[in-house]
Amino acid sequence: MRHIQQARWFMGADRNRGIDKHLPLRRVEFHILLSLAAGERHGYGIIQDIEARGDTSVPDVGTMYRALARMVEDGLIEPAARQPAPDRGDERRNYYRITSAGMRIARAEARRLELLMRAARLGGLLPKGVN
Amino acid sequence: MRNRMLNLSERWFRLLQRLYPPDFRDEMGNAAVEAYMDRARDALKTGGRISLIALWVRAFVDSLRNGPAERVRPAAWWRRAGNWGRDIELVRRRLVRSPIFAATTIGTLTIGLGMFAVVYTTVQKVLIDPMPYKNPGDLYYVWRDYGPIRDIKRGSLAGTDILEMQKTNGVIQDAAGLQPMLGGIFALREGAESMEIAVTRTSPNLFDLLGVAPALGRSFAPDEIGRAREQVMVLTHHLWTRLGADPGIVGRDVRLQGRPFTVIGVLPPDFTFVRNDEAAPPQRVDAYIPLAVNLAEPNRRGGYAGLIRARRGASPGAVAAAVDLIGRAIDARDFNSRGLKLYSVGLKADVISRIRPALVVLGAAGLVVVLMLMLNLASVLIARAAQREHEVAVSRALGANTIAIVRSILLEGSLLGLAGGALGALGAIWGTRALVALAPLDLPRGEAIAIDWRIAAAVIAVGGLLGVLAAAPPAVWAARVSLSSLLAGSAVRGGGGQSRWRRGLIVAQVALSLILLSSGALVMRSFERLLRADPGFRSDGVFTVRVRTPPEFFPQNSDASAFQDRVESALAAIPGVTGASATSALPLTATALFEERIAIPGAPGNTGNAEQDTVLTDVILARAKYVEVMGMRLITGHTFTESRQNGVAEAMIDAALARRFFPEGNAVGAKIQLGERSLTIIGVVNQARLYEIHADGRPQILVRAEDFGARPLFYVMRTTREPHSLLPEVQSALRRIDPRVPVGNAQSMDDIVQASLSPQAIGGTLISAFAVGALLLSAMGLFGVISGSVTQRRHELAVRLALGADHRHALRLVLKEGALLVVAGLLIGAPGIYIANRLIRGLLVSVSPSDPLSLLVAALGLLLVTMAACYVPARRALRIDPAQLLRHE
Repeated sequence: MRHIQQARWFMGADRNRGIDKHLPLRRVEFHILLSLAAGERHGYGIIQDIEARGDTSVPDVGTMYRALARMVEDGLIEPAARQPAPDRGDERRNYYRITSAGMRIARAEARRLELLMRAARLGGLLPKGVN
Repeated sequence: MRNRMLNLSERWFRLLQRLYPPDFRDEMGNAAVEAYMDRARDALKTGGRISLIALWVRAFVDSLRNGPAERVRPAAWWRRAGNWGRDIELVRRRLVRSPIFAATTIGTLTIGLGMFAVVYTTVQKVLIDPMPYKNPGDLYYVWRDYGPIRDIKRGSLAGTDILEMQKTNGVIQDAAGLQPMLGGIFALREGAESMEIAVTRTSPNLFDLLGVAPALGRSFAPDEIGRAREQVMVLTHHLWTRLGADPGIVGRDVRLQGRPFTVIGVLPPDFTFVRNDEAAPPQRVDAYIPLAVNLAEPNRRGGYAGLIRARRGASPGAVAAAVDLIGRAIDARDFNSRGLKLYSVGLKADVISRIRPALVVLGAAGLVVVLMLMLNLASVLIARAAQREHEVAVSRALGANTIAIVRSILLEGSLLGLAGGALGALGAIWGTRALVALAPLDLPRGEAIAIDWRIAAAVIAVGGLLGVLAAAPPAVWAARVSLSSLLAGSAVRGGGGQSRWRRGLIVAQVALSLILLSSGALVMRSFERLLRADPGFRSDGVFTVRVRTPPEFFPQNSDASAFQDRVESALAAIPGVTGASATSALPLTATALFEERIAIPGAPGNTGNAEQDTVLTDVILARAKYVEVMGMRLITGHTFTESRQNGVAEAMIDAALARRFFPEGNAVGAKIQLGERSLTIIGVVNQARLYEIHADGRPQILVRAEDFGARPLFYVMRTTREPHSLLPEVQSALRRIDPRVPVGNAQSMDDIVQASLSPQAIGGTLISAFAVGALLLSAMGLFGVISGSVTQRRHELAVRLALGADHRHALRLVLKEGALLVVAGLLIGAPGIYIANRLIRGLLVSVSPSDPLSLLVAALGLLLVTMAACYVPARRALRIDPAQLLRHE
């Protein structure tokens, strides 16, 4: 019994450590996970999402594909089937989808940011009560 | 227009992709270009050409930043270098699948590298590591070359010489004189059981000069020297432990030769000092006491070994010049400028001078063995790669990366090498212990010989490097294998490239083994000559002990003589002892205490030239029956008997003196002049060699100990029992006669003979083991090549057989192939023998380095073994059935 508990504890610790290892996410990584959380996207689609979010600095194509490659290696996202892009007619694009690990990490990052925001509000850096 | 702009953009974006590493380009390149193109279309749509060109610039900056960054990203770099974990796993699986290959290869490497590790440890610790003193490179021994007046090259110094060197204060900073104490009967207190220890007398500055502080207590004060102040003693850690390691020993009174001494200090455990004497091998020391006389006083106990410390950083040349300068002044003052020189030898060089040539040879042999191991591993790995020829060719045809194939072969080699190195280093832990146990007691620095982690790491690294180098030729070969070459080659007789490599390796191995074997044969032949040498006595069944009769216990010569008579008759009465006697110098221990010039006035061999007609001889003091007990050979006359003629001092001369002075052979009855004394020759004997087993030393005369009032040290007994079994009875006999006198240094003459042979025995054994190992390696390699060749040539042989050749012809064909390789190896190796001979010359005793018999035996032996290694696999050619084989094609 104790062994199992211990094993669980280790596994749990391991999982947490796995998440902690990735936090905080780089901005481009969080953007990617955020886009993919909504559904499969191709590279340019993600860039367009980021532009639409109104972030002041939109990542360059090279930066984003390097991030995609690394995140595939780390198992946060995975390539999906090649499929036609909705706005480009017949041209096919590489699509990506988020993995469950990626989802966990994105949530953890969002929680972390939320805590920071709350702290910033309490500390008077941001107006209180505004969502 | 719009399409042209887009085409241009695409080409630009693809060009920019070249900045990224290839694997990233393969994976992400297309997608990235598509993304850029999407951007370009949008840019053209919303902002026209200006914003398209802005995008080009932006893409350029982007690629310039991210491309090189991706190239140097550590994780990607690692991945690009290959999946090491997977590769190692693959190699491990391949090795597990062929356990016999893995076991023999790793076994060979373990034995070879283990031997290398033992030799390397010995060479490192004895020849290379500094001795445990402060700035040991600045320490030198100083000796006097008595050349012009005596046949002594390495003579001792007088006290005044040491003082001269202390006074200069230039290049020579400090000097100390050392002297063995004759006698070391030690007891912890009055009446306690006594034991023998080795004591050295020294000037009080010895420990300051060496830069060593005692672990307990203090060292000698500068004024602790001379008769009044000498009763202080510093113990070595070794003796202190033997006495029970009592820290309270400092300040306590102990007895040395029955006289009180105060222990003032105990030296640290890592301190070892070997006192070097003029003639004897380096001696261990148990305790130090100050010199009994001031250096300025004349000392009738003989000379000193001089030890100096030079100024920090002074070159050996400068030290030699300074010593020489002092030597000239002393020569002019004390020796009427007859040309007696002083010279300096580095402390370490002096201590190891006797063993250095053997170690250099062993070190060289060790390197050759490592080279052989490498060549052998290379040919084994080539054979293994050849078995995988199809696999390699097919995987390359399917697009496997050349780098990956090369890497897997290199990895296999280095893993095998590392495993062999690690196991060899492990084995060397016991190997070095065995070596030290076998080594002669006086092996200098023997206590330091043990493998440490630095040496183990070096051996493992050598193993890994050897593996990588050995894997290089098969890796290069595999990189060239392609499907087309495989198809082209196999049509006729199978891949030719790898067998060319292997043949070259075999030739090199045969050449190297010839060199090792010929050196081994010479060393063994020299050893065998030594074993058969007649040392001038019969060593079997002789037991010896050392019993001191110090003047402190026996003030009068008559007391000592009476004591010795009683001891001798008590020893002779022990059951199984057929005779007992005593001598001042045991054979083969280089301990003649007394060398003198003699003349034989009126002898027929005299030339009339007084200088030539006096001969420096070793004078050996003996009691009655010594010649019989030691089994020496009497040529004419008679020996010392129990009854002495009154007023006649008897002497025996050795055959060399008899030939020199009495060519006609009528020596008996003639008178010898030895100093003031006149001795009568009563017999001529073959000399019992004092120094070396294979050659006479200085001429000897034997005189009766009683005539000289001398007190011989060593009792000798001839016995029908196992010599060492006498020891308890000898001890109890001595205790009954005088309990104050301990029995020291019990050994049989066989032990002494063996000890004097042990450097040669160890050197001979190791070199022979290396040589035999090398021979086996070549034989193994040849076996592999020939059996591979039979397999490859079986079609050709089958065709020949089908066309009417008989099987014996086929066998001859295969054997010829092997013989050619061996002969080529012999021819290439022959010049190497001459290089090796230069190295081993110093080891050989009464064998010429170009001894034709040894060299012939080595070459023939090599030829025989290698041809046998060819014959066994070649016989398979006899079993080829052409009809069956060709049908299967």
